[in-house]
Amino acid sequence: MKHPAATEPSARESEETGLPFFRSWKSVYLFVLGSFVLWIALLIALTELFA
Amino acid sequence: MSALDFVVLIGSMLGIAIYGIWRTRDRRSLNAYLHGDGQTPWFAIGLSVMATQASAITFLSTPGQGYLGGLGFVQIYFGVPIALIIIAVFFLPIFRRLNVYTAYEFLGRRFDAKTRLLGAALFLVQRGLGAGLTIYAPAIVLTTVFGWPLDLTIICSGLLVIIYTVAGGSDAVTVTQKYQIGIIFAGMVTAFCLLIAKLPSGLTFTDTFALAGGFQKLNAVNFSTDIHERYTFWSGLLGGTFLMLSYFGTDQSQVQRYISGSSLREGRLGLMFNAVFKIPMQFSILLLGVLIFVFYQFEPPPLFFNPASSQYLAEHNSGEQWQAFENNFQKLHNQTRQQLENWLNARHSGDESGAKSAFAAASAAHQQGEQLREKAAKTLQAANPGTTANDADYVFITFILRQLPHGVIGLLVAAFFAAALSSKSAELNALGSSTTIDFYRHLIKRDATDAACVAASKWFTAFWGLVAIVFALYAHLVENLIQAVNILGSIFYGVMLGLFVVAFFVRRVGGTAVFWAAVAAQSLVFALYFNLTISYLWYPLIGCATCVLLSLIIQTALDSNGKPTPALPAL
Repeated sequence: MKHPAATEPSARESEETGLPFFRSWKSVYLFVLGSFVLWIALLIALTELFA
Repeated sequence: MSALDFVVLIGSMLGIAIYGIWRTRDRRSLNAYLHGDGQTPWFAIGLSVMATQASAITFLSTPGQGYLGGLGFVQIYFGVPIALIIIAVFFLPIFRRLNVYTAYEFLGRRFDAKTRLLGAALFLVQRGLGAGLTIYAPAIVLTTVFGWPLDLTIICSGLLVIIYTVAGGSDAVTVTQKYQIGIIFAGMVTAFCLLIAKLPSGLTFTDTFALAGGFQKLNAVNFSTDIHERYTFWSGLLGGTFLMLSYFGTDQSQVQRYISGSSLREGRLGLMFNAVFKIPMQFSILLLGVLIFVFYQFEPPPLFFNPASSQYLAEHNSGEQWQAFENNFQKLHNQTRQQLENWLNARHSGDESGAKSAFAAASAAHQQGEQLREKAAKTLQAANPGTTANDADYVFITFILRQLPHGVIGLLVAAFFAAALSSKSAELNALGSSTTIDFYRHLIKRDATDAACVAASKWFTAFWGLVAIVFALYAHLVENLIQAVNILGSIFYGVMLGLFVVAFFVRRVGGTAVFWAAVAAQSLVFALYFNLTISYLWYPLIGCATCVLLSLIIQTALDSNGKPTPALPAL
């Protein structure tokens, strides 16, 4: 059975993020990884500073 | 709870449910019922994914974990950003391109019918059992504290979620989750602000952190390589990545949330929203618990936070022994408080050695208090082996009831119920969808019309809701229920992930090889679980790696026996 209203993502849809400062998905993922590393660094600093 | 608290609780819960039913009253096609109307923006998807994962016990129990064990529990979430990026890059585009209703439908297209049914069956077993706990866990805590009838609380909250999930399908889940998580955040932020306002006026920000750190509550990252330690940086990063990849990538209750976006972009951004905010959110909830710990160094805490434990000791032990426990505990608390006040004065006057000796004395008195608490817990268990002084679940609710004003109490209890209902509705929606698409339409009635599938999906959703209620009503018969269901998930998730990893990344493996590899890997995980004592976070990694490796070996054996791999469909 074919699903109604099937939504085929276009190549354009796959590439564009629609975000003002992050034009490509690669930059979005790098930002997410960067914020993750920053959180780890802050948690390590918290552990070391107040242990 | 006062009348005002009940008005806030019942008004918000009923109001959201009725609004959800009204907003989704026209979802009649199968696509609209299971996928939504295709207009869900990324922000709603992000909140929906977050609300599905965070159940009531997350908000009830996590502050207690922070109070008792500090920030170390946050390490379990270190795998979330990596797992969500992998899903956004590899899983989501294929789910959307194939326009599947369930993740297991994809397995059927990539492999064969038996592999699809195996994946769906693994999901139904573990999620079906877990669904009962989603209602039971908060109900047992709240009814113990408030004295409400447990069965009635389970039935009322269970029926409410069944009604709006059956009525509106996937969109009802997303629409209600948006407002439910709003109530959760409002409640948690209010509690956080009021708690900070209640800390002693002379206590600065750095004093608070120095005090918590002195009692080892701020040890957020542990680089130990001991495989038996439950929460470490390595188990969080490696084991946690596999656990989160399994949960977000293969559990239909999550997959259904992010494939419902209007485009690939919306789904990806919804996932990235969680990748960025999940760790800070869990950190904040744990920090709330640490601050409650600091608060109770200056205010008398109860010997046990679980009122059932205190009540049992008071009723069944001799009054003198119970009184002695209470008096000695309060005496030690007063000593701790006195020494901490000395520490604060010495610290503020720049007397470093005085501060050091005062803190050492406070720490010693606190340690004695904890030893006394342990002794009382042992007395409790000796008197009644079936009772445990499980305090973690009761720390936050005790603080709320004793320290916060009416109205706010109602808001926070509403937040706990909102969390329970939001997780529950997503689970029921996923269980109903998978039973309809992977079993009913695939095995029982292949020529079913869309209208028949919608009707079947509603019946299956209601069926799973009733199963969850019955399971919750009898859940007290199972010992260590929460731990059992968590471990159950980690045992099954690895093999489920293995099926998907082979499907996405190992093109040469066919259905027969991966099916038997999954069966063998699942058996191995069961055998290891009963013979090893390693942290449960490692089982998803072991299950996944074994499934991938065995599928390659079996496929090689099949190829060498002259059975060529069937031509695989393009993904």
